Amino acid sequence: MQRRSFLKGIMMTGAAAAVVSPSLAFSAEAPKGPNAMDLDTAIKAITGGKSVSASAKVQLKAPEIAENGAVVPVSVTVDSPMSAEDHVKAIHIFATKNSNVRCADVMLTPANGKASFSTRVKLGTSQDVMALVVTSKGEFLSAAQNVKVTIGGCG
Amino acid sequence: MATKSLVKIKPKTYKVGDVVEVSLMVMHPMETGLRKDKETGNLIPAHYINDVKFSFNGTPFTTIKSWESLSTNPVYTVSYKVSGEGEIKVAFTDTKGDANENGTKIKPKA
Amino acid sequence: MKKIILASALLGVLAFGSDQFAMSDADRAMYQEMLENNPADMDVAWGGELFEANIGSEEALAKFLGVKAEELAAYLSGFPRYIEKLGMVASQEQVLQGAMAEAGKKPLALKSKEMAAMGAYVKSLSNGLPISIDINANEQMKKAYAFGEEVFTQHRGGRGLSCMSCHAPAVIGSILRTQPLPDLGSEANKAAATWPAYRMTKSSMSTLQKRFQGCMENALLAVIPMGSPEMNALEVYVTHAAKGKEIAIPGLKR
Ligand code: HEC
Repeated sequence: MQRRSFLKGIMMTGAAAAVVSPSLAFSAEAPKGPNAMDLDTAIKAITGGKSVSASAKVQLKAPEIAENGAVVPVSVTVDSPMSAEDHVKAIHIFATKNSNVRCADVMLTPANGKASFSTRVKLGTSQDVMALVVTSKGEFLSAAQNVKVTIGGCG
Repeated sequence: MATKSLVKIKPKTYKVGDVVEVSLMVMHPMETGLRKDKETGNLIPAHYINDVKFSFNGTPFTTIKSWESLSTNPVYTVSYKVSGEGEIKVAFTDTKGDANENGTKIKPKA
Repeated sequence: MKKIILASALLGVLAFGSDQFAMSDADRAMYQEMLENNPADMDVAWGGELFEANIGSEEALAKFLGVKAEELAAYLSGFPRYIEKLGMVASQEQVLQGAMAEAGKKPLALKSKEMAAMGAYVKSLSNGLPISIDINANEQMKKAYAFGEEVFTQHRGGRGLSCMSCHAPAVIGSILRTQPLPDLGSEANKAAATWPAYRMTKSSMSTLQKRFQGCMENALLAVIPMGSPEMNALEVYVTHAAKGKEIAIPGLKR
């Protein structure tokens, strides 16, 4: 029942960053949009280079096989009390192989009562969808799920 | 013409203290800037919703920055812990500066 | 015999029993959940406004149809119907055109977005009720059904295909270019109960007759115009296949 495929390359320790690069080099041939940004850069912009740990507290749900890359449901829930002292401050969603990996940056507050966000994303090709979560304690947690796309979303 | 949108609360009935889901749906092309116009062959400029703000009785509780990778006619669903009677407003703006607002009343059951 | 030959014409592109693209139950559940926030809900809400502006009220539509207002939803669940006023077996949208004309308004075109939205709103008034089409209600309906069956099974176009070539029990479920061939009457598809629907591949809402046209284009059959006797007959035939299934408008389709 472990549907989540933790991304090998995203535990942004120096060594892991090297693992990401080949796939990025690969996607460099894809057309670049006005906001093109790779995963490495997008994560660093949020963490300032601090380490990110894959966490079972972050549940990312996305289909293993997308019926259609143009509409892929993604939902993220984080196990958090959402109290003033201990809450999720942000949920970031990345489509790791899109030209601009950023999908949404969601800033939460304790008034949310529960740390959750769901939406639908366009995926150009099969890829990992990733959630990067920032907590009020300054932790960076992540989860990812691979989505196979039979028909691309950028047609 | 105002951009069409819809704000929904799930479930339909709730009490103070319950956590509900609030969804905003918008009719919007969410153009990536990568798509070609079929007739002219030119790239269609990027055009997407980049800012969404959820508030209750005037106090923001969730702000979202979104990008062109969200699907056409996007949906944004967040949680909200019901604190009392009032109104949830959702303001959203796109990259052309088109600003809209929609909302729904919050009426908890006793 | 003929059917078997034609089914084999398709054989080249069909993969039987392929589960390569089969979705897991969890995946299916996620898509099912998307119905709760169906973008076509926005079309239906807009359709409600258009209905008010163009036809006025449910009472006004009930009056046009000669039924009591409280029976309107049940009556609407039985379309297409033979409508004496219009002298034909009519789709619900054609009735809306008639009601607009009677109110002195220029009827919306069948293929307009406005009509699709208004039609979806009116169809959604029967949500939760079973499809109640009666193909034996009168001679006209009997004829329309028989004609619909003829259109559904007639081989046409460059590849000599009919609707039946792809939507017959013998081929249903097999995969055509990654897409399982749907059983139009089944609980899983119940086409007539779920269109108008949001099409994810088109990022917009579409009507049942437009969906028919989509299949005609894909299968290289000459496209039949919306609202024509052939098209309405086809709608009668496909609607009867889902008779008794619960109406749930708008649907959400790939
Ligand atoms: C070449 C094969 C083929 C032919 C011929 C064909 N269809 Fe289809 N039809 C399909 C496939 C495949 C789908 C599902 C496509 C998808 O999921 O996007 C479909 C879907 C549909 C649907 C939507 C089902 C739903 O889920 O609600 C309807 C309605 C339909 N067809 C009607 C017709 C009619 C009427 C005709 C004859 C004019 C026809 N089709 C001819 C292959 C075909």
